[in-house]
Amino acid sequence: MTHEIALKLGSLKAGDFLVRRSAIHWLCEDGHSCASGEVVGFCTVTLEPSPNQRNAGLPMAGEQDFQVAIAPRTAGRLRIETGKSPGGYLGIHGLHLWNPDHVVARLEVSDDIQGREQNVRLLMLAGRRMSGLADVDAGILPGWHNRSRAWWGEEGPDRTLLCLGICDAAGIVRGNQTPFIEAFQSTPEAAHLVYVPDHPVVPCAPVLLDQLLRTPNQNRAIAADLAAALGNNDRNATTSDDWLFAGALLSWLERSPIRDTYEVVTPAGLRRVGPADAVLLSLSSETNTILRHKRLGYSLQMLRHRQASAGPAIRSWLGSAFEPVKRSIDDIRRDYRRLIEAIGEQTGAKVFILNRMSTSGYEDIVSYAPFDAPMSDTLENIAAKEMNLMLHDLAQESEAMIIDVDAVAAEIGGAEHLPDGIHHSATLQALLRSAMFTAWAPQSRKSGSVR
Amino acid sequence: MTFELRLTKINPNMTAGMVECCYVQPNSPIKMGDKLFDLRVDLSAGFSQYCPPISYFRVVAREAAVLKELSVKPGDTVNVGDLLAVFGDKAGGEAADQPARPLRVTTAGIAHHSGMWSARDQ
Repeated sequence: MTHEIALKLGSLKAGDFLVRRSAIHWLCEDGHSCASGEVVGFCTVTLEPSPNQRNAGLPMAGEQDFQVAIAPRTAGRLRIETGKSPGGYLGIHGLHLWNPDHVVARLEVSDDIQGREQNVRLLMLAGRRMSGLADVDAGILPGWHNRSRAWWGEEGPDRTLLCLGICDAAGIVRGNQTPFIEAFQSTPEAAHLVYVPDHPVVPCAPVLLDQLLRTPNQNRAIAADLAAALGNNDRNATTSDDWLFAGALLSWLERSPIRDTYEVVTPAGLRRVGPADAVLLSLSSETNTILRHKRLGYSLQMLRHRQASAGPAIRSWLGSAFEPVKRSIDDIRRDYRRLIEAIGEQTGAKVFILNRMSTSGYEDIVSYAPFDAPMSDTLENIAAKEMNLMLHDLAQESEAMIIDVDAVAAEIGGAEHLPDGIHHSATLQALLRSAMFTAWAPQSRKSGSVR
Repeated sequence: MTFELRLTKINPNMTAGMVECCYVQPNSPIKMGDKLFDLRVDLSAGFSQYCPPISYFRVVAREAAVLKELSVKPGDTVNVGDLLAVFGDKAGGEAADQPARPLRVTTAGIAHHSGMWSARDQ
Protein backbone atom coordinates (compact mmCIF):
# COMPACT_ATOMS: atom_id res chain seq x y z
CA MET A 1 0.00 0.00 0.00
CA THR A 2 1.11 3.56 -0.66
CA HIS A 3 0.17 7.03 0.47
CA GLU A 4 1.08 10.53 -0.70
CA ILE A 5 3.32 12.94 1.11
CA ALA A 6 3.69 16.65 0.33
CA LEU A 7 7.15 17.78 -0.79
CA LYS A 8 7.84 21.20 0.68
CA LEU A 9 10.66 23.57 -0.16
CA GLY A 10 11.85 23.98 3.41
CA SER A 11 13.89 26.84 4.79
CA LEU A 12 16.50 28.85 2.87
CA LYS A 13 17.95 32.02 4.38
CA ALA A 14 20.44 34.67 3.37
CA GLY A 15 20.66 37.01 6.33
CA ASP A 16 18.21 39.87 5.94
CA PHE A 17 18.12 39.52 2.17
CA LEU A 18 14.94 38.41 0.46
CA VAL A 19 15.25 35.09 -1.33
CA ARG A 20 13.27 34.96 -4.57
CA ARG A 21 12.91 32.00 -6.86
CA SER A 22 11.70 31.17 -10.33
CA ALA A 23 9.17 28.48 -11.13
CA ILE A 24 10.42 24.90 -10.70
CA HIS A 25 11.88 23.43 -13.91
CA TRP A 26 11.25 19.71 -13.77
CA LEU A 27 13.90 17.31 -14.99
CA CYS A 28 11.47 14.40 -15.12
CA GLU A 29 7.85 13.66 -16.00
CA ASP A 30 4.85 13.33 -13.73
CA GLY A 31 4.79 9.73 -12.49
CA HIS A 32 8.59 9.35 -12.51
CA SER A 33 9.79 6.77 -10.03
CA CYS A 34 12.63 8.55 -8.24
CA ALA A 35 15.34 7.36 -5.91
CA SER A 36 16.14 8.87 -2.56
CA GLY A 37 18.30 11.95 -3.11
CA GLU A 38 17.65 12.06 -6.88
CA VAL A 39 17.58 15.59 -8.27
CA VAL A 40 14.20 16.02 -9.97
CA GLY A 41 13.98 19.77 -10.64
CA PHE A 42 15.58 23.15 -10.09
CA CYS A 43 14.81 26.84 -9.89
CA THR A 44 16.80 30.04 -10.33
CA VAL A 45 17.30 32.05 -7.15
CA THR A 46 18.04 35.73 -6.62
CA LEU A 47 18.98 37.50 -3.41
CA GLU A 48 17.45 40.92 -3.00
CA PRO A 49 18.19 43.60 -0.40
CA SER A 50 15.27 44.22 1.92
CA PRO A 51 13.89 47.81 1.83
CA ASN A 52 16.09 49.02 4.72
CA GLN A 53 19.37 47.73 3.23
CA ARG A 54 19.30 48.96 -0.35
CA ASN A 55 22.95 50.01 -0.14
CA ALA A 56 24.21 46.81 1.40
CA GLY A 57 26.56 44.65 -0.65
CA LEU A 58 24.81 41.61 -2.01
CA PRO A 59 26.03 38.20 -0.86
CA MET A 60 27.50 36.05 -3.64
CA ALA A 61 27.52 39.21 -5.75
CA GLY A 62 30.18 37.88 -8.13
CA GLU A 63 28.17 34.78 -8.91
CA GLN A 64 25.52 35.82 -11.35
CA ASP A 65 24.10 32.33 -11.66
CA PHE A 66 22.58 30.90 -8.50
CA GLN A 67 20.20 27.96 -8.68
CA VAL A 68 18.69 25.51 -6.26
CA ALA A 69 17.99 21.93 -7.31
CA ILE A 70 15.54 19.81 -5.32
CA ALA A 71 15.64 16.12 -4.40
CA PRO A 72 13.14 14.03 -2.40
CA ARG A 73 14.67 12.43 0.68
CA THR A 74 12.87 9.16 0.12
CA ALA A 75 12.18 7.04 -2.94
CA GLY A 76 8.72 7.18 -4.47
CA ARG A 77 6.60 8.09 -7.46
CA LEU A 78 6.61 11.78 -8.17
CA ARG A 79 3.31 13.58 -8.73
CA ILE A 80 3.78 16.96 -10.37
CA GLU A 81 0.95 19.40 -10.80
CA THR A 82 1.43 20.77 -14.29
CA GLY A 83 0.28 24.14 -15.58
CA LYS A 84 1.40 26.06 -12.48
CA SER A 85 4.29 27.86 -14.22
CA PRO A 86 3.72 30.57 -16.82
CA GLY A 87 6.79 29.22 -18.68
CA GLY A 88 9.09 31.23 -20.96
CA TYR A 89 11.03 34.07 -19.36
CA LEU A 90 8.39 34.28 -16.65
CA GLY A 91 9.41 30.81 -15.55
CA ILE A 92 13.10 31.77 -15.39
CA HIS A 93 13.03 34.98 -13.38
CA GLY A 94 12.67 35.07 -9.62
CA LEU A 95 9.01 35.96 -9.27
CA HIS A 96 8.18 34.12 -6.06
CA LEU A 97 9.37 34.85 -2.54
CA TRP A 98 10.92 31.71 -1.07
CA ASN A 99 8.23 30.13 1.07
CA PRO A 100 9.44 27.17 3.16
CA ASP A 101 5.92 25.76 3.34
CA HIS A 102 5.32 25.83 -0.40
CA VAL A 103 4.41 22.36 -1.69
CA VAL A 104 6.28 21.81 -4.97
CA ALA A 105 4.99 18.29 -5.67
CA ARG A 106 3.70 15.15 -4.03
CA LEU A 107 5.38 11.80 -3.64
CA GLU A 108 3.70 8.39 -3.55
CA VAL A 109 5.60 6.38 -0.97
CA SER A 110 5.16 3.00 0.67
CA ASP A 111 3.24 2.92 3.92
CA ASP A 112 6.34 2.19 5.96
CA ILE A 113 7.38 5.83 5.37
CA GLN A 114 6.01 7.86 8.25
CA GLY A 115 4.44 11.32 8.00
CA ARG A 116 2.42 13.31 5.49
CA GLU A 117 4.98 15.89 4.45
CA GLN A 118 8.71 16.24 3.90
CA ASN A 119 11.14 19.03 3.13
CA VAL A 120 13.09 18.31 -0.06
CA ARG A 121 16.89 18.31 -0.04
CA LEU A 122 18.28 21.48 -1.58
CA LEU A 123 21.36 21.34 -3.79
CA MET A 124 22.84 24.82 -4.25
CA LEU A 125 24.56 25.61 -7.55
CA ALA A 126 26.48 28.82 -8.17
CA GLY A 127 28.44 30.03 -11.18
CA ARG A 128 30.73 33.05 -11.59
CA ARG A 129 30.59 34.12 -15.22
CA MET A 130 33.76 34.77 -17.17
CA SER A 131 32.00 37.98 -18.15
CA GLY A 132 28.63 39.43 -17.27
CA LEU A 133 27.95 39.11 -20.98
CA ALA A 134 28.18 35.33 -20.80
CA ASP A 135 24.62 34.80 -19.67
CA VAL A 136 22.44 31.98 -20.91
CA ASP A 137 19.08 31.56 -19.25
CA ALA A 138 18.04 27.97 -19.83
CA GLY A 139 19.25 24.84 -18.05
CA ILE A 140 21.39 24.06 -15.03
CA LEU A 141 24.36 26.41 -14.62
CA PRO A 142 24.32 27.51 -18.26
CA GLY A 143 26.84 29.93 -19.75
CA TRP A 144 30.59 30.42 -19.49
CA HIS A 145 31.86 30.32 -15.91
CA ASN A 146 35.37 30.82 -14.62
CA ARG A 147 34.28 29.12 -11.41
CA SER A 148 31.27 27.00 -10.57
CA ARG A 149 30.40 25.22 -7.34
CA ALA A 150 27.73 23.26 -5.56
CA TRP A 151 26.81 22.07 -2.07
CA TRP A 152 23.94 20.32 -0.34
CA GLY A 153 21.98 22.91 1.63
CA GLU A 154 21.36 21.19 4.97
CA GLU A 155 23.38 23.21 7.47
CA GLY A 156 26.01 24.11 4.90
CA PRO A 157 29.17 22.29 3.88
CA ASP A 158 32.03 21.71 6.27
CA ARG A 159 34.65 20.75 3.65
CA THR A 160 35.59 22.16 0.25
CA LEU A 161 37.22 20.33 -2.68
CA LEU A 162 38.67 22.53 -5.41
CA CYS A 163 39.15 20.86 -8.79
CA LEU A 164 41.90 22.36 -10.96
CA GLY A 165 42.55 19.62 -13.43
CA ILE A 166 41.87 19.35 -17.12
CA CYS A 167 39.23 17.07 -18.69
CA ASP A 168 40.10 14.00 -16.63
CA ALA A 169 39.57 15.82 -13.34
CA ALA A 170 36.64 17.94 -14.52
CA GLY A 171 34.54 14.89 -15.34
CA ILE A 172 35.03 13.49 -11.85
CA VAL A 173 33.87 16.59 -10.01
CA ARG A 174 31.58 18.37 -12.43
CA GLY A 175 30.31 15.33 -14.32
CA ASN A 176 29.11 15.32 -17.88
CA GLN A 177 25.34 15.14 -18.02
CA THR A 178 24.36 17.96 -15.69
CA PRO A 179 26.85 20.01 -13.71
CA PHE A 180 27.56 18.51 -10.28
CA ILE A 181 24.36 16.45 -10.15
CA GLU A 182 26.08 13.09 -10.70
CA ALA A 183 28.66 13.88 -8.02
CA PHE A 184 26.14 15.02 -5.41
CA GLN A 185 23.70 12.19 -5.98
CA SER A 186 26.54 9.91 -4.84
CA THR A 187 27.69 12.21 -2.04
CA PRO A 188 25.37 12.41 0.93
CA GLU A 189 27.92 14.32 2.95
CA ALA A 190 28.08 18.05 3.60
CA ALA A 191 30.61 18.59 0.84
CA HIS A 192 31.29 21.71 -1.19
CA LEU A 193 32.70 21.08 -4.68
CA VAL A 194 34.33 23.87 -6.68
CA TYR A 195 35.41 23.61 -10.30
CA VAL A 196 37.71 26.04 -12.11
CA PRO A 197 38.04 25.26 -15.83
CA ASP A 198 41.20 25.33 -17.93
CA HIS A 199 39.91 28.32 -19.92
CA PRO A 200 42.38 29.22 -21.28
CA VAL A 201 45.31 28.14 -19.06
CA VAL A 202 46.35 24.59 -18.19
CA PRO A 203 46.61 24.35 -14.39
CA CYS A 204 50.07 22.78 -14.24
CA ALA A 205 52.20 23.08 -11.12
CA PRO A 206 54.53 26.00 -12.12
CA VAL A 207 51.61 28.04 -13.45
CA LEU A 208 49.59 27.45 -10.27
CA LEU A 209 52.59 28.30 -8.10
CA ASP A 210 53.15 31.60 -9.95
CA GLN A 211 49.45 32.37 -9.65
CA LEU A 212 49.48 31.63 -5.92
CA LEU A 213 52.54 33.79 -5.16
CA ARG A 214 51.99 36.66 -7.63
CA THR A 215 51.78 40.17 -6.17
CA PRO A 216 49.32 42.88 -7.31
CA ASN A 217 52.25 44.76 -8.92
CA GLN A 218 53.21 41.67 -10.91
CA ASN A 219 49.60 41.29 -12.04
CA ARG A 220 49.61 44.89 -13.22
CA ALA A 221 52.87 44.31 -15.13
CA ILE A 222 51.37 41.28 -16.89
CA ALA A 223 48.24 43.22 -17.84
CA ALA A 224 50.31 46.18 -19.10
CA ASP A 225 52.54 43.92 -21.16
CA LEU A 226 49.56 42.19 -22.74
CA ALA A 227 47.76 45.46 -23.43
CA ALA A 228 50.91 46.88 -25.06
CA ALA A 229 51.31 43.78 -27.19
CA LEU A 230 47.75 43.99 -28.47
CA GLY A 231 47.70 47.79 -28.78
CA ASN A 232 51.00 48.13 -30.62
CA ASN A 233 50.71 45.15 -32.87
CA ASP A 234 51.77 46.34 -36.31
CA ARG A 235 52.21 42.95 -38.00
CA ASN A 236 48.94 41.30 -37.03
CA ALA A 237 45.67 43.16 -36.78
CA THR A 238 44.22 42.75 -33.29
CA THR A 239 40.80 41.15 -33.56
CA SER A 240 37.84 40.77 -31.22
CA ASP A 241 38.98 37.15 -30.63
CA ASP A 242 42.28 38.55 -29.30
CA TRP A 243 40.60 40.90 -26.82
CA LEU A 244 38.19 38.23 -25.60
CA PHE A 245 41.05 35.78 -25.16
CA ALA A 246 43.15 38.42 -23.38
CA GLY A 247 40.32 39.10 -20.93
CA ALA A 248 39.92 35.41 -20.13
CA LEU A 249 43.69 35.01 -19.78
CA LEU A 250 44.06 37.93 -17.36
CA SER A 251 41.06 36.76 -15.36
CA TRP A 252 42.75 33.36 -14.97
CA LEU A 253 46.21 34.73 -14.13
CA GLU A 254 45.12 37.43 -11.68
CA ARG A 255 43.49 35.38 -8.95
CA SER A 256 44.40 32.11 -7.35
CA PRO A 257 41.36 29.93 -6.63
CA ILE A 258 43.46 28.11 -4.03
CA ARG A 259 43.07 31.14 -1.74
CA ASP A 260 39.36 31.75 -2.52
CA THR A 261 36.78 31.80 0.25
CA TYR A 262 33.08 31.31 -0.49
CA GLU A 263 29.72 32.44 0.78
CA VAL A 264 27.18 29.65 1.11
CA VAL A 265 23.45 30.03 1.54
CA THR A 266 21.94 27.46 3.90
CA PRO A 267 18.59 26.83 5.60
CA ALA A 268 20.10 28.50 8.68
CA GLY A 269 21.47 31.56 6.87
CA LEU A 270 24.64 32.79 5.18
CA ARG A 271 28.03 31.32 6.03
CA ARG A 272 31.54 31.82 4.72
CA VAL A 273 33.66 28.74 4.10
CA GLY A 274 37.08 27.99 2.66
CA PRO A 275 39.73 28.24 1.42
CA ALA A 276 39.46 24.72 0.04
CA ASP A 277 40.85 22.01 2.31
CA ALA A 278 41.48 19.73 -0.68
CA VAL A 279 42.82 20.50 -4.16
CA LEU A 280 42.48 18.02 -7.03
CA LEU A 281 45.13 18.19 -9.77
CA SER A 282 45.91 16.04 -12.78
CA LEU A 283 49.27 14.63 -13.80
CA SER A 284 48.08 14.95 -17.39
CA SER A 285 48.42 18.75 -16.98
CA GLU A 286 52.18 18.39 -16.49
CA THR A 287 53.59 18.61 -20.01
CA ASN A 288 57.31 18.32 -20.67
CA THR A 289 57.39 21.74 -22.33
CA ILE A 290 55.81 24.90 -20.95
CA LEU A 291 56.10 28.57 -21.90
CA ARG A 292 57.98 31.18 -19.88
CA HIS A 293 57.63 34.92 -20.41
CA LYS A 294 61.07 36.18 -21.49
CA ARG A 295 60.95 39.47 -19.59
CA LEU A 296 58.47 38.95 -16.73
CA GLY A 297 59.47 35.35 -16.02
CA TYR A 298 56.06 33.84 -15.35
CA SER A 299 55.03 30.40 -16.63
CA LEU A 300 52.15 29.67 -18.95
CA GLN A 301 50.71 26.58 -20.56
CA MET A 302 47.71 26.34 -22.84
CA LEU A 303 46.15 23.48 -24.73
CA ARG A 304 46.57 23.72 -28.48
CA HIS A 305 42.84 23.97 -29.16
CA ARG A 306 42.53 26.83 -26.67
CA GLN A 307 45.33 28.72 -28.43
CA ALA A 308 43.51 28.13 -31.70
CA SER A 309 40.57 30.16 -30.40
CA ALA A 310 42.81 33.20 -29.87
CA GLY A 311 43.24 35.79 -32.61
CA PRO A 312 46.42 36.43 -34.61
CA ALA A 313 47.79 39.08 -32.23
CA ILE A 314 47.66 36.77 -29.20
CA ARG A 315 49.26 33.95 -31.17
CA SER A 316 52.00 36.35 -32.32
CA TRP A 317 52.52 37.52 -28.70
CA LEU A 318 52.78 33.93 -27.47
CA GLY A 319 55.41 33.26 -30.12
CA SER A 320 57.52 36.37 -29.51
CA ALA A 321 57.18 37.18 -25.78
CA PHE A 322 57.54 33.61 -24.50
CA GLU A 323 60.17 30.90 -24.80
CA PRO A 324 59.56 27.17 -24.51
CA VAL A 325 61.12 25.57 -21.43
CA LYS A 326 61.75 21.82 -21.37
CA ARG A 327 61.02 20.00 -18.13
CA SER A 328 62.51 16.69 -17.13
CA ILE A 329 60.65 14.35 -14.79
CA ASP A 330 62.85 15.65 -11.96
CA ASP A 331 61.84 19.22 -12.85
CA ILE A 332 58.15 18.26 -12.72
CA ARG A 333 58.68 16.57 -9.37
CA ARG A 334 60.43 19.71 -8.07
CA ASP A 335 57.59 21.93 -9.37
CA TYR A 336 55.01 19.72 -7.65
CA ARG A 337 56.95 19.76 -4.39
CA ARG A 338 57.17 23.56 -4.41
CA LEU A 339 53.47 23.90 -5.14
CA ILE A 340 52.47 21.43 -2.42
CA GLU A 341 54.68 23.25 0.10
CA ALA A 342 53.25 26.65 -0.89
CA ILE A 343 49.67 25.40 -0.63
CA GLY A 344 50.51 23.88 2.76
CA GLU A 345 51.90 27.20 3.98
CA GLN A 346 49.10 29.36 2.61
CA THR A 347 45.96 27.30 3.25
CA GLY A 348 46.97 23.89 4.61
CA ALA A 349 44.96 22.16 1.88
CA LYS A 350 45.72 18.55 1.02
CA VAL A 351 46.68 17.88 -2.60
CA PHE A 352 45.22 14.96 -4.57
CA ILE A 353 46.66 14.10 -7.97
CA LEU A 354 45.17 11.90 -10.68
CA ASN A 355 47.91 9.76 -12.20
CA ARG A 356 48.10 8.82 -15.89
CA MET A 357 46.87 5.83 -17.80
CA SER A 358 50.09 4.04 -18.68
CA THR A 359 48.83 1.43 -21.11
CA SER A 360 46.71 1.61 -24.21
CA GLY A 361 44.28 -0.94 -25.49
CA TYR A 362 45.49 -0.26 -29.01
CA GLU A 363 49.14 -1.22 -28.70
CA ASP A 364 50.50 -4.64 -29.55
CA ILE A 365 54.24 -4.07 -29.26
CA VAL A 366 56.26 -7.25 -29.85
CA SER A 367 59.69 -5.60 -29.90
CA TYR A 368 61.05 -2.37 -28.46
CA ALA A 369 63.84 -2.20 -31.06
CA PRO A 370 62.04 0.31 -33.34
CA PHE A 371 61.60 2.79 -30.50
CA ASP A 372 64.54 5.10 -29.84
CA ALA A 373 66.21 5.26 -26.44
CA PRO A 374 65.55 6.63 -23.92
CA MET A 375 62.17 5.04 -24.48
CA SER A 376 60.40 7.42 -22.13
CA ASP A 377 61.18 10.13 -24.71
CA THR A 378 59.62 8.06 -27.48
CA LEU A 379 56.85 5.82 -26.18
CA GLU A 380 53.91 7.55 -24.47
CA ASN A 381 53.10 4.58 -22.27
CA ILE A 382 56.69 4.36 -20.96
CA ALA A 383 56.66 8.12 -20.30
CA ALA A 384 53.37 7.73 -18.41
CA LYS A 385 54.81 4.88 -16.33
CA GLU A 386 57.83 6.97 -15.38
CA MET A 387 55.61 9.93 -14.49
CA ASN A 388 53.44 7.66 -12.34
CA LEU A 389 56.55 6.37 -10.56
CA MET A 390 57.65 9.94 -9.96
CA LEU A 391 54.24 10.68 -8.47
CA HIS A 392 54.52 7.62 -6.25
CA ASP A 393 57.85 8.93 -4.89
CA LEU A 394 56.36 12.39 -4.46
CA ALA A 395 53.47 10.97 -2.42
CA GLN A 396 56.00 9.25 -0.15
CA GLU A 397 57.89 12.45 0.56
CA SER A 398 55.00 14.93 0.74
CA GLU A 399 51.37 15.28 1.77
CA ALA A 400 50.15 14.54 -1.75
CA MET A 401 47.81 11.63 -2.37
CA ILE A 402 47.41 9.76 -5.67
CA ILE A 403 44.06 8.87 -7.22
CA ASP A 404 45.08 5.78 -9.17
CA VAL A 405 43.48 6.25 -12.60
CA ASP A 406 45.99 3.79 -14.06
CA ALA A 407 44.85 0.92 -11.84
CA VAL A 408 41.12 1.63 -12.01
CA ALA A 409 41.12 2.00 -15.79
CA ALA A 410 43.21 -1.13 -16.27
CA GLU A 411 40.78 -3.07 -14.10
CA ILE A 412 37.71 -2.18 -16.18
CA GLY A 413 39.40 -1.88 -19.58
CA GLY A 414 41.35 1.18 -20.70
CA ALA A 415 40.51 0.85 -24.38
CA GLU A 416 36.81 1.00 -23.66
CA HIS A 417 36.76 3.46 -20.78
CA LEU A 418 39.80 5.68 -21.41
CA PRO A 419 40.56 5.39 -25.13
CA ASP A 420 42.72 8.51 -25.49
CA GLY A 421 44.19 8.53 -21.98
CA ILE A 422 42.34 11.71 -20.96
CA HIS A 423 38.61 11.35 -21.51
CA HIS A 424 36.79 8.94 -19.21
CA SER A 425 33.60 6.97 -19.71
CA ALA A 426 30.78 7.63 -17.23
CA THR A 427 31.58 4.32 -15.53
CA LEU A 428 35.21 5.28 -15.02
CA GLN A 429 34.21 8.75 -13.82
CA ALA A 430 31.92 7.22 -11.21
CA LEU A 431 34.64 4.84 -9.96
CA LEU A 432 37.22 7.64 -9.76
CA ARG A 433 34.70 9.92 -8.07
CA SER A 434 34.15 7.25 -5.46
CA ALA A 435 37.94 6.84 -5.03
CA MET A 436 38.30 10.61 -4.70
CA PHE A 437 35.61 10.88 -2.03
CA THR A 438 37.08 7.91 -0.15
CA ALA A 439 40.51 9.55 -0.17
CA TRP A 440 39.04 12.88 0.90
CA ALA A 441 37.10 11.38 3.81
CA PRO A 442 38.41 12.67 7.15
CA GLN A 443 39.51 9.22 8.32
CA SER A 444 41.52 8.43 5.18
CA ARG A 445 45.28 7.87 5.18
CA LYS A 446 47.54 10.91 5.14
CA SER A 447 49.34 9.95 1.95
CA GLY A 448 49.66 7.14 -0.56
CA SER A 449 47.27 6.12 -3.31
CA VAL A 450 43.61 5.19 -3.64
CA ARG A 451 41.89 3.08 -6.27
CA MET B 1 51.77 -12.27 -52.63
CA THR B 2 50.79 -8.63 -52.09
CA PHE B 3 49.93 -6.98 -48.77
CA GLU B 4 48.40 -3.56 -48.32
CA LEU B 5 48.70 -1.09 -45.48
CA ARG B 6 45.75 1.24 -44.98
CA LEU B 7 45.08 3.80 -42.24
CA THR B 8 43.01 2.02 -39.62
CA LYS B 9 41.14 3.55 -36.70
CA ILE B 10 43.89 3.82 -34.11
CA ASN B 11 41.48 5.80 -31.94
CA PRO B 12 37.74 5.15 -32.19
CA ASN B 13 36.99 8.85 -32.67
CA MET B 14 39.46 9.55 -35.46
CA THR B 15 38.43 10.14 -39.05
CA ALA B 16 41.83 10.98 -40.54
CA GLY B 17 45.55 11.13 -39.83
CA MET B 18 48.61 12.93 -41.09
CA VAL B 19 51.86 11.34 -42.18
CA GLU B 20 54.68 12.77 -40.03
CA CYS B 21 57.53 10.46 -41.07
CA CYS B 22 57.99 7.84 -43.72
CA TYR B 23 60.88 5.49 -42.93
CA VAL B 24 60.81 3.26 -46.04
CA GLN B 25 61.55 3.64 -49.74
CA PRO B 26 60.00 1.80 -52.71
CA ASN B 27 61.65 -1.51 -53.56
CA SER B 28 63.46 -1.62 -50.24
CA PRO B 29 63.12 -4.73 -48.10
CA ILE B 30 61.81 -4.45 -44.58
CA LYS B 31 62.20 -6.88 -41.73
CA MET B 32 60.14 -7.51 -38.64
CA GLY B 33 60.57 -4.59 -36.23
CA ASP B 34 61.36 -1.97 -38.89
CA LYS B 35 59.77 1.46 -38.51
CA LEU B 36 57.34 2.26 -41.36
CA PHE B 37 55.48 5.50 -40.56
CA ASP B 38 54.92 8.04 -37.80
CA LEU B 39 51.37 9.36 -37.90
CA ARG B 40 49.61 12.28 -36.27
CA VAL B 41 45.98 11.97 -35.21
CA ASP B 42 44.21 15.26 -34.57
CA LEU B 43 40.76 14.61 -33.20
CA SER B 44 39.72 18.16 -34.08
CA ALA B 45 39.57 16.91 -37.67
CA GLY B 46 36.18 15.53 -36.67
CA PHE B 47 35.03 18.20 -34.20
CA SER B 48 36.47 21.71 -34.34
CA GLN B 49 36.48 22.10 -30.54
CA TYR B 50 37.42 18.51 -29.75
CA CYS B 51 39.71 18.46 -26.78
CA PRO B 52 43.20 17.16 -27.57
CA PRO B 53 45.36 15.18 -27.16
CA ILE B 54 46.68 15.45 -30.61
CA SER B 55 48.44 12.13 -30.57
CA TYR B 56 51.27 10.56 -32.50
CA PHE B 57 51.69 6.92 -33.40
CA ARG B 58 54.46 4.78 -34.87
CA VAL B 59 53.59 1.96 -37.24
CA VAL B 60 56.12 -0.89 -37.14
CA ALA B 61 56.33 -3.99 -39.36
CA ARG B 62 55.61 -7.33 -37.71
CA GLU B 63 56.75 -9.34 -40.71
CA ALA B 64 59.34 -9.21 -43.48
CA ALA B 65 58.24 -7.79 -46.84
CA VAL B 66 59.34 -5.54 -49.72
CA LEU B 67 57.79 -2.13 -50.25
CA LYS B 68 56.26 -2.07 -53.74
CA GLU B 69 54.40 1.19 -53.75
CA LEU B 70 54.32 4.18 -51.43
CA SER B 71 51.06 6.15 -51.66
CA VAL B 72 51.82 8.95 -49.20
CA LYS B 73 54.56 11.36 -48.21
CA PRO B 74 55.23 13.37 -45.02
CA GLY B 75 52.66 16.14 -44.65
CA ASP B 76 49.88 14.22 -46.42
CA THR B 77 46.54 13.93 -44.70
CA VAL B 78 44.82 10.60 -45.21
CA ASN B 79 41.35 9.41 -44.29
CA VAL B 80 40.70 6.25 -42.34
CA GLY B 81 40.68 3.44 -44.89
CA ASP B 82 43.02 5.19 -47.35
CA LEU B 83 45.99 3.29 -48.73
CA LEU B 84 49.40 4.08 -47.24
CA ALA B 85 51.54 1.52 -49.04
CA VAL B 86 51.56 -1.80 -50.87
CA PHE B 87 54.05 -4.54 -49.96
CA GLY B 88 55.07 -7.85 -51.53
CA ASP B 89 56.60 -10.95 -50.01
CA LYS B 90 59.56 -10.86 -52.40
CA ALA B 91 61.34 -8.51 -54.76
CA GLY B 92 59.74 -8.14 -58.18
CA GLY B 93 56.08 -8.76 -58.86
CA GLU B 94 53.37 -6.21 -59.47
CA ALA B 95 51.98 -3.80 -56.90
CA ALA B 96 48.72 -3.95 -58.84
CA ASP B 97 48.18 -7.60 -57.79
CA GLN B 98 45.09 -8.10 -55.68
CA PRO B 99 46.25 -7.81 -52.04
CA ALA B 100 46.04 -11.08 -50.15
CA ARG B 101 45.66 -9.40 -46.76
CA PRO B 102 46.77 -6.38 -44.73
CA LEU B 103 50.44 -6.20 -43.76
CA ARG B 104 50.91 -7.24 -40.15
CA VAL B 105 51.96 -4.20 -38.14
CA THR B 106 52.24 -2.90 -34.59
CA THR B 107 50.99 0.57 -33.70
CA ALA B 108 52.17 2.39 -30.57
CA GLY B 109 51.63 5.88 -29.17
CA ILE B 110 54.80 7.99 -29.32
CA ALA B 111 55.91 11.48 -28.35
CA HIS B 112 56.34 14.29 -30.85
CA HIS B 113 59.96 14.49 -32.04
CA SER B 114 62.17 16.80 -34.05
CA GLY B 115 62.27 14.54 -37.10
CA MET B 116 58.56 14.94 -37.74
CA TRP B 117 57.15 16.89 -40.67
CA SER B 118 55.23 19.18 -38.29
CA ALA B 119 58.47 20.06 -36.46
CA ARG B 120 60.06 21.59 -39.57
CA ASP B 121 58.45 25.01 -39.10
CA GLN B 122 59.12 25.23 -35.35
